[in-house]
Amino acid sequence: MTDHVITVRGLVKKYGDFTAVDGIDLDVRRGEVFSILGPNGAGKTTTVEILECIRKATAGEVTVLGYDLGSKSRDIKRGIGVLPQQFNAFELLTVKENIAFFGGMFDRHLDVDELIKLVDLEDKRDEYFKNLSGGLKQRVGIATAMVNDPEIVFLDEPTTGLDPKARREVWDVVRGLRDKGKTVILTTHYMEEAEVLSDRLAIMNSGKFIAMGTPREVIEQHGERKSAVVRGGGEKAWEALKSLGGDLQRNNGDVTVHLNDKGTLATIVNLLEEGEVPYDELVLKRSSLEDVFLKLTGRTIEGGEVSD
Amino acid sequence: MTNRVGVVFVGLAKQFFRSPGSVFWTILFPVMLILIFGAIFSGTGASSFNLYVQDQDGTPFSEAYIEGLNATGVLNIRLVPADEDAAAYIERNSITNMLIIPEGFGNAAMTRQPVTVELRQDNTAGSAMAVMTAVNAVTQQVNLNITGGSNVITVKSGSIVSDDFSYIDFFLPGTIGLMVMMISIQSIVGYQTRYRNNGIFRKLATTPMNNAEWLVGMMAWMLVMVAISIAAIMITGIAVYEVKMTFDAVSLSTIVLSTMMFTAIGMIIAQFVKDEEVAGTAAGVITFPMMFLAGSFFPLETMPGYLQTIAQALPLTYVNNGLRDAMVYGNAAGAMGNLLIIAAMTAVIVIVTVAISGWKKE
Repeated sequence: MTDHVITVRGLVKKYGDFTAVDGIDLDVRRGEVFSILGPNGAGKTTTVEILECIRKATAGEVTVLGYDLGSKSRDIKRGIGVLPQQFNAFELLTVKENIAFFGGMFDRHLDVDELIKLVDLEDKRDEYFKNLSGGLKQRVGIATAMVNDPEIVFLDEPTTGLDPKARREVWDVVRGLRDKGKTVILTTHYMEEAEVLSDRLAIMNSGKFIAMGTPREVIEQHGERKSAVVRGGGEKAWEALKSLGGDLQRNNGDVTVHLNDKGTLATIVNLLEEGEVPYDELVLKRSSLEDVFLKLTGRTIEGGEVSD
Repeated sequence: MTNRVGVVFVGLAKQFFRSPGSVFWTILFPVMLILIFGAIFSGTGASSFNLYVQDQDGTPFSEAYIEGLNATGVLNIRLVPADEDAAAYIERNSITNMLIIPEGFGNAAMTRQPVTVELRQDNTAGSAMAVMTAVNAVTQQVNLNITGGSNVITVKSGSIVSDDFSYIDFFLPGTIGLMVMMISIQSIVGYQTRYRNNGIFRKLATTPMNNAEWLVGMMAWMLVMVAISIAAIMITGIAVYEVKMTFDAVSLSTIVLSTMMFTAIGMIIAQFVKDEEVAGTAAGVITFPMMFLAGSFFPLETMPGYLQTIAQALPLTYVNNGLRDAMVYGNAAGAMGNLLIIAAMTAVIVIVTVAISGWKKE
């Protein structure tokens, strides 16, 4: 194992009869951004919380930074930085004071002003935490996760609940971490986020990893052929295209046809013309992570069942 | 280790001074309490007062003297049978003012021999001054009438409770005990539930800090809050009511130990009640009845027997009694006894707390 900062073998976590993590294996390489992707309740957070030494595993062997998880948690904690899910800090401390507070938990820590600059919060330095927007709070959280100059940074759903602009700002900070050579473990249920940020990713469902690799590898390995989407076609498009056979999906007025051969696209256009079906657009798509996820788990990442 | 404790202490302290609510409850609330209760109970206002009179003399002269007291209009005279034991009668009937006319009073007055009547009073009662003034005035008048001026009859005053203590002397240590309890329980319940629910504990769990460091830092800060509150109480008492209080090692130990005890009680509440608001209410459910039942505001002796029995089981009772003995009454033995009871209670509660928080959530 050359330069793996995390190794996991047969990790199991049970709560009574419920198995949250069901025998996973994992090797994370130094300096990569590794994402764990999955719907709510898949076991992502449980997995990272075990790696962060705040939950005990039921079974399995785990080393983080070469330290055994069970016996060396204090050594591990010195070398990791964590942005927990739904991060919160002390409301009546300022940005600077909060970062210094969490820095004070470590024997050595980075210069607080440098960190504030890193997450671009210089003009909010003396603002109380409670007065910050969600995106700014997350950036404070990332700064606290960086404060001990960790080798591994865990970001647990860093963009959940943020608006698109704030989300992209967080992405920039994550890219900055990778540029500094940090290993980043990211959990998310946003496909796009995982696709854009990750060097490698694992798809998790019901406590198991069901796919792992670079985003491209995962798509190529598990992705289906191309598909055509009739956006806004609704019931009329569904009726017109039914004759194509079983390979059809309907979702919120969109109808998706999985293309079997080159002829089908022309057939679709013809059928829509003949039926005089009104629609917004006709899109030709290659498989996305979302499609892979749908195929592997039978449900959308938001947890909804696929209708067909 | 010490560094992390210091960081916790400073972090909590900064937030305290930025929160108007905390400052109010810790400093202004007890000051208001003292001023309001002080104003109510040291005030005058009532137009007539009950004076119990035991006439052991039973001569026409003593009856005339009693009639003179009655004629003032300020006093409602209640006669006590001459064969009653005065002290027992006072205790049995919760009497605040009693005048004892000794046997031979009439004879002595007629022959102009000095004689003394005894006025026993509860000086913590608001009526004490008014009653004494009335009795003195009547006595002077009688002296004037029978002798033309010289003091044949003198009034000897005696206290029912103890010498020279007013209500405010009684009330101040009660306020201190009350604030020690409120600050400790409310703060710990607030910190533990808030930081658990908003995820700060989860974040802290990923740092090298351990539970003990968090608790020590938090305890240190709570002791400072208690000290600030006590300072406010004592300054108000001394400045406004000229209270004489001593603050010795026993008072200090009582305060430190009871802070620990109430903190441990707060930890138990926080352990069982997860929601911050519900936990605050639960803390109130425990502190408010205790505040009234443990003799913070009124002497336990004035309460019905069954409530006094309940008070025996309340930790705050011993804090109040101990602080009064140590700070006001100068009763070293009593203060020490209460301190030992508090120490024993603290030990039991801390053990229970440790046992409960030892249960792993997983």
